[in-house]
Amino acid sequence: MYSNAYIFRYASIMVILVAAILTSVALVLKPYQEHNRRVEKISDILSAAGLEADASNAVEVYEQSIIEELAIDLSGEVVAIYKDGGLAQGEVRAFDIDVKVVMDEIAKGGKPLLPLFHMRAADNSEVFVIPVRGKGLWGPIWGNIALAPDYTTVIGVSFDHKGETPGLGAETNTTEFESQFLGKKILDESGNFTSIKVVKGGVANSSDVPLQHGVDAISGGTITSNGLSAMVEDCLKNYVPFIQKRKAL
Amino acid sequence: MSADTPKKEALFSAKNRRLLFNPLNKENPITVQVLGICSALAVTVKLEPAVVMAISVTLVTAFSNLSISLLRNTIPPRIRIIVQLVVIAMLVILVDEVLKAFYYDVSKQLSVFVGLIITNCIIMGRLEAFAMGNKPWPSFLDGIGNGVGYGWILIVVGLFREFFGSGTIWNFPVMEKLGVYNFGYKDNGLMILPPMALILVGVIIWIQRARNRELIEENK
Amino acid sequence: MQELVNIFVKSIFIENMIFAYFLGMCSYLAVSKTVKTSMGLGIAVIFVLGITVPIDFLINKYLLSEGALAWISPSWAELDLSFLSFIMFIAVIASMVQLVEMVVEKFSPALYNSLGIFLPLIAVNCAILGGSLFMQEREYETLAEATVFGLGSGVGWLLAIVAIAAIREKIRYSQIPAPLRGLGITFIITGLMGIAFMAFMGIEL
Repeated sequence: MYSNAYIFRYASIMVILVAAILTSVALVLKPYQEHNRRVEKISDILSAAGLEADASNAVEVYEQSIIEELAIDLSGEVVAIYKDGGLAQGEVRAFDIDVKVVMDEIAKGGKPLLPLFHMRAADNSEVFVIPVRGKGLWGPIWGNIALAPDYTTVIGVSFDHKGETPGLGAETNTTEFESQFLGKKILDESGNFTSIKVVKGGVANSSDVPLQHGVDAISGGTITSNGLSAMVEDCLKNYVPFIQKRKAL
Repeated sequence: MSADTPKKEALFSAKNRRLLFNPLNKENPITVQVLGICSALAVTVKLEPAVVMAISVTLVTAFSNLSISLLRNTIPPRIRIIVQLVVIAMLVILVDEVLKAFYYDVSKQLSVFVGLIITNCIIMGRLEAFAMGNKPWPSFLDGIGNGVGYGWILIVVGLFREFFGSGTIWNFPVMEKLGVYNFGYKDNGLMILPPMALILVGVIIWIQRARNRELIEENK
Repeated sequence: MQELVNIFVKSIFIENMIFAYFLGMCSYLAVSKTVKTSMGLGIAVIFVLGITVPIDFLINKYLLSEGALAWISPSWAELDLSFLSFIMFIAVIASMVQLVEMVVEKFSPALYNSLGIFLPLIAVNCAILGGSLFMQEREYETLAEATVFGLGSGVGWLLAIVAIAAIREKIRYSQIPAPLRGLGITFIITGLMGIAFMAFMGIEL
């Protein structure tokens, strides 16, 4: 029979051995995994800005098309600028700001810095890409919204999610749904912030949401659609002071 | 370990070949032993994740069989199950880390189902039934055999679901190239939905048992 | 509150562990021959999911996820142990099952007699580990959400296994093509039930 001491020794050696193997593998593979995550983030930004790239050339395309990465505070001041591969002002690189942390801090009443990507689109026009993040039915949803140089008109979006119901909520990241956002406005005629709403039953039939501030919801994916509306509004409204300042120039 | 038997058995003796090939059909883990369906069917919407899943499970089964078989005389019976789980979990984490590093897209599609390989009953089942009482090499073959037996069902289901559900094979647009859309053909959306995987496996079982009458269950 | 009701209903009907994700199929197929035993197993699953999902939630939140160790010392905020989550979750499940078994045996022999034999089966039931992994993947924010999700998934699982057991009890009197008998027809029925459950997808809350 095996003594308790033997069992205990056996278990301890096993645990230490397994932990050592796993930790070393995790350390070796970590750079690759981080690279993948960066590429994914870059691809999302590029896709909102209407630039085509796949995993192999995403980094290259991004470096060619980025004009500057801005980190702005909630009052609309630019705190840090990153361009041409180095920090031109401030200490934060906007790309490294995690939108999830930003939204958590805003919910707690903190004053985090917001990332904004100023890029050159394929037709050489300028775009401003704003990353957004919120809650769907099952878990987080996130994406990017690209604005034209008038800071008002949406010229592209990309949304993504984890684990939404396939066929319903999951439709938020299909091109059909995303293309509805093109040409919608985030400011009304007098320049006040009016977010884009996802409208159930179709925006054309809605009496209280004007055509340029709404898109049609995905039928059946109500909660995901509501989550999406809330996400777009909650994230974009933080950028309003910045936008007003830029427009006043 | 090879010192155990005075006359050395050939690496691929008839007995070892049986270990390798029986699980493919007569002792198939999915259709006959009814093991490991849990983590399987949700990944068969497309061929690519199905193949990756099949390879991952085969590797984990083979190597957990091998390591438990090597350790089999030292494992205290009282903590047997937990030792097995730790070995399996370690291998699965390795697979998951490698997928995340080199096949990021597939790893995103598989999401939690990579983790669920841990509770795949095939692996625990083979460890208990085979590796605990056999030498490393036969255990390794047994693991490969069961992994592949599980894998080919996944791949067949994945092939049918992708072909009829999205009109592609390995993301290659077969249906479009054949031009059948011009005749009013539409992809069958039902194939993409989870229940169709179950029905397809049901049909595979039907065909297999119709050809192999001894597998038919008594009407109890 | 509305959020919680939402998660509960969704995890029972729409994202049913069996019909949408095929989790826990092994015991689902093996134990669903009579309604009585499947009821016992179903209750055991609810029980264990209701305990392990919240525990794994706490482990994930305060030990494993990136920056989770910041409460011990700010210098540990950089650590990311999430690669250990599989092994931690399965260890928690295995030990919880053992613990529950011992507690139930000591304090309620009657319950142990009806539930006890199923408990060891549950440690390797994919639905249990699946519950914890989905909880991690979907990033539930509060303990209450995680608990409700665990319980809801368990109830959904019970519903599915009791329903199939009832059908299998009746189907014994049907003339099924010989090769389909038993396993084959069970798969196909489960598929059809899954299609029926998809009707819940349009549900609005």
